[in-house]
Amino acid sequence: MNQADVSKLMSQLRIAVKPHRNLRNPDGPEGRLLKLRKTVTALVKHERIELYYNRADEARGYAELLISNAIRYGDRHKATMELADYWLLEKQLVHKLFKVLVPRLENCNYSYTRLYKAPRDYPGMYYRKSVLELRGNPYPTLVTDFTNNRNLIHNVLLDEARKDYRRERLAELANKIAAESAENEKKAEAVSEPKITEQVVNSESKAELKGVEQVEKV
Amino acid sequence: MASNKIISRSVLNTLNRFQRLTNLRTYSSQKETLAPALAKRNELFSQEQRRQQEAVGRVEKIEVRYLGLPEDVTLAMNASISTPYNCAQHLSDGHCKRSALALKDGNVPWDMHRPLTESCTLQLLNFTVSDPHLVNKAFWRTCSFMLGAALQNSFTDDAHLQLHSFPGPNIKSGSFVYDVVLRAQNWQPSKAELRALSAEMINLASKDLKIERLDVNNELALEMFADSHYKREQLPSIAQQNQGRVTLYRMGTHIDISRGPMVASSRFLGKCTVATAHKIANEGEKDALYRIQGVGLPAGFTLDHVAYSTLEERAKKLNPARLPNEPFEETQQQIA
Repeated sequence: MNQADVSKLMSQLRIAVKPHRNLRNPDGPEGRLLKLRKTVTALVKHERIELYYNRADEARGYAELLISNAIRYGDRHKATMELADYWLLEKQLVHKLFKVLVPRLENCNYSYTRLYKAPRDYPGMYYRKSVLELRGNPYPTLVTDFTNNRNLIHNVLLDEARKDYRRERLAELANKIAAESAENEKKAEAVSEPKITEQVVNSESKAELKGVEQVEKV
Repeated sequence: MASNKIISRSVLNTLNRFQRLTNLRTYSSQKETLAPALAKRNELFSQEQRRQQEAVGRVEKIEVRYLGLPEDVTLAMNASISTPYNCAQHLSDGHCKRSALALKDGNVPWDMHRPLTESCTLQLLNFTVSDPHLVNKAFWRTCSFMLGAALQNSFTDDAHLQLHSFPGPNIKSGSFVYDVVLRAQNWQPSKAELRALSAEMINLASKDLKIERLDVNNELALEMFADSHYKREQLPSIAQQNQGRVTLYRMGTHIDISRGPMVASSRFLGKCTVATAHKIANEGEKDALYRIQGVGLPAGFTLDHVAYSTLEERAKKLNPARLPNEPFEETQQQIA
């Protein structure tokens, strides 16, 4: 018996999602889910939140799946709407999800969220902290952008390498064209040598030469 | 029985400790015996450094106006004693660690460990400022300098390595360069050898060696480089262009001649590969002049391996900088 292909039943997420942690909560698993719903709601509302790492990592998986289902099925799909209704506690955020986040993120080739490490509270609660944000949020980036300043040393090196490569390719192309035109000229000469059928030959050679000129212009 | 075991264990422990001590001693003795010429050069350097420090005499105060983050402040520093690094120490540890080069009066690049002589404005530069071309050049120059040190450390005595010089930094060429003379006329570096040289560069970087500058007169420089024929050849012309003074840089035990500013420490080197060695010319019957080329990035710049490999490929092409056996074209040209 061949196993049916179940890989397409759920969206393939672009982050590593491990089996869920049992986040400690006085209300047990139900309390954990409520806390995570609040986290996902806050993420969709504020688009960048700072919280402890474990809960951020858990909420990230749920947020990614929610967004990916919204993109895949749209808001006409009952199951997706119920999912959004369950996870987003403030109902205007359901509108935000389908009307703002989906168009923003539908052509994104990577994950919809980013999780950064944040400075830990020392002395004090030394738990790992993190910042969870949606891609395309309006705040300034948390990571220094090294791509815009073309005077930075790695950009200088890369730009010069690119110019060098293009120069080489152009030179190759020019050589190729020159070689081709030389060949065509030789053919034209070979054809124009015998004098018997001069007129015919001349017209032929003229055509060849015209062809050569065209190639040279190119 | 138990007590016997304990006694024997303690005896074993002391024996182990004694053995380890002897191992340590032999290891340290191996490391400390520098070649006598190198040891003498370092001794002369240290002596001259001490002499110049003591020659300051009466301490004069200068006002250094620091411009930059977190705020512009005026610092009261000591003339000919305080360095930009000392100014950074007044600001924060982050400033000390991040600053690679100082900018005096807005346009003069200044080494971090070089004493300031007069009141001035000071900016501390790192690799991510908006106009980093001065820091980049200093970094490239430092890479050449470190390559010289790495070559000196890596080659055995049989190779008869003699460091020649390195041309001015040109980042757009895609590689930094050191020219050396080896007693081998047909040497092609193998991949393992290149990897070993790159590892030596990273080793130097991890040691966080301070790069110190010293201005000496021509005679002392000639004495210091008494064992190096090629360096002695270059010294008169360098001194002539610089009012009889020669600038030397020291990193650890490696001392070399160079004009321009270097970055504050070897720690600023991040990724580095020694790409290739091109033979330039034969020197006499047995020796030959080689151009060793490499490429590197400062610490903090992460590049994926594909992009970095394009830089490595480009660094393999012969660097068009002035060859040491060619005559000087302009009078302004100097070994950088």
